[in-house]
Amino acid sequence: MSLVSGPGRAGMADTPVELQLFVDKHVRYIQSLDTRKDELEYWLTEHLRLNGLYWGITALHLLGQPDALPRQGIIDFLLSCLHGNGGFGAAPGHDAHMLYTVSAVQILATLDAFDEFEERIKGGRKRIGQYIADLQDRETGTFAGDEWGERDTRFLYGALNALSLMGLLHLVDVEKAVEHVHSCANFDGGYGTRPGSESHAGQVFTCVGALTIAGRLDLVDQAKLGAWLSERQLKNGGLNGRPEKKEDVCYSWWVMSSLAMLNKLHWIDGEKLTAFILQCQDPEGGGLADRPGDMVDVFHTVFGIAGLSLLKYPGLQEVDPVYCMPRAVTKRCLGK
Amino acid sequence: MPILYGANPTWADVTPVPQEDGGPHPLAAIAYAEEYSEAMGYLRAVMAANEYSQRVLGLTEHIISLNPAHYTVWLYRAKVLDQIGANLADEISWLNPTALQHLKNYQIWHHRQTIIDKLGSPEGEGPFISTMLEQDSKNYHVWSYRQWLVKRFDLFDEAELAWTESMIEADARNNSAWNHRWFLVVGRKGGQALEESIVDREIQYAKAAIRKAPQNQSPWNYLGGVVRRAQLPASSLKDFVLEFADLDEPDKVFSSHALDLLADIYTQDEDKKDEARKALDLLAVKYDPIRAHYWNYRKGLLDSSPAAQQIA
Ligand SMILES: [Zn+2]
Repeated sequence: MSLVSGPGRAGMADTPVELQLFVDKHVRYIQSLDTRKDELEYWLTEHLRLNGLYWGITALHLLGQPDALPRQGIIDFLLSCLHGNGGFGAAPGHDAHMLYTVSAVQILATLDAFDEFEERIKGGRKRIGQYIADLQDRETGTFAGDEWGERDTRFLYGALNALSLMGLLHLVDVEKAVEHVHSCANFDGGYGTRPGSESHAGQVFTCVGALTIAGRLDLVDQAKLGAWLSERQLKNGGLNGRPEKKEDVCYSWWVMSSLAMLNKLHWIDGEKLTAFILQCQDPEGGGLADRPGDMVDVFHTVFGIAGLSLLKYPGLQEVDPVYCMPRAVTKRCLGK
Repeated sequence: MPILYGANPTWADVTPVPQEDGGPHPLAAIAYAEEYSEAMGYLRAVMAANEYSQRVLGLTEHIISLNPAHYTVWLYRAKVLDQIGANLADEISWLNPTALQHLKNYQIWHHRQTIIDKLGSPEGEGPFISTMLEQDSKNYHVWSYRQWLVKRFDLFDEAELAWTESMIEADARNNSAWNHRWFLVVGRKGGQALEESIVDREIQYAKAAIRKAPQNQSPWNYLGGVVRRAQLPASSLKDFVLEFADLDEPDKVFSSHALDLLADIYTQDEDKKDEARKALDLLAVKYDPIRAHYWNYRKGLLDSSPAAQQIA
């Protein structure tokens, strides 16, 4: 990791304008997201509301502005998405699903709000854990996203992520889950959504993340996967998610975090990638887009900022590559 | 305020349920666009009443057309189909144009999978998938669905292989198509050994694709994968690799992937360390400088123990 050289360390005042991160603009952009309820877009993305909240809060914490959104309002909203079975929906009235439940746990962890949650919902933490555990197929080790049973390594990773943050990993068969992840390894060194599915950087992140949480990185062909991941960097400095695809800021995160978990972050050109991510900012309205010139959104904003944090961009809080959360938060939850 | 449902006599018995905003906080209030808002109000009402009917099917269709990513609507639609014993072939006829309108949506694929599974026949799926891939030949959901179809109906046959070849022919840089070929030929074998004739065929196939476009990553990955899977030494590819990267002509390297493999072959040969170093230098300095750190790391391995040198 230490080989990754960030952009100049002379402090923001001396940083050339093309290497500046517009922190205040990004904070205001994230704050503004919730005031745009008059736009249809806001409601059409309701099925992502809880994920969006996790992305926004994480970005704000990494930017060093943890209080930029009202804590109490967030917790109240979370509770309004909670179902009796311990799962969370994307918004009130939406069915419970693994992906939103994981976001909810990550938010509670980041806000250090588990105790408060427990006070308001007795046995709530255990109930969330049980909801997640019940989605595991005990035969194959896989996890479904909801009662309808779609399987994807994303859900498996999410389960281990949330359970480990709550200290409840023992509720599931970790060994079986590990076996399943291992069966998704491909001939090119990467991983896909299911056994046989094409390697995809997002899926690599979930598989390597799950194996890291389980303490089983020994199963990974690290040299081969590291080479595949570093091959994702294109001449313009950006990273793509699969061979012969375009670069995209969110892949900065999936690829880099995987490399970081394998201790091979220095295999890519950090300076060029930093410059690429910074070019994706909207210097006036704030926020980051998938690539220069496109529309910004909160998804690419958090993954761009998290990527810059991994690249040791000055002034950002350290991010945990396994959880995509502030390192200080995961230290507190995991005790390590 | 009501537009479509409120004035419609077939819905007169239903009172729409407004969006519940979870209390007096600013993070979720009511501001849907009118049409969407009204339709959602009726959906919440029928869901609360567990109504499964033809008109609810129409309602979910309407909402999906406005917002296909709303997963709760899909789940409820699936329940309705099940409860009223709907004609599943009709459902597929409706899904086809809907999928084409919403190429990035993935809920639709899981829905389709459950329907086709119940119908018990893959008929018509091939042409539909081709139509989808004409829009985006690397659509991950579509390829995943195709794999499911092949497994579900045991379609590991010559026709499937021929179709995959036609996809690779149309675009040799389509990594999804190469992955599908691996899935058909090698993946189905599990841990079993591959017949020699198949190994030969696959090696020749990948080599031919590389000769057409030497800087294409996909066939190189495929070739390396087959060679490793068949437990052949990397050096068996040396003559082929030299067609694209020969250290005697360092200005005429046609493929960084060839140079990578050449470095690997030399690394495994105790007497060729200098050649390996030279190949890695060429990559770091000239042919793939953005990954200079990686190539230099490989160079560093040359001086360490032989066990650490197995890169590929
Ligand atoms: Zn993206």
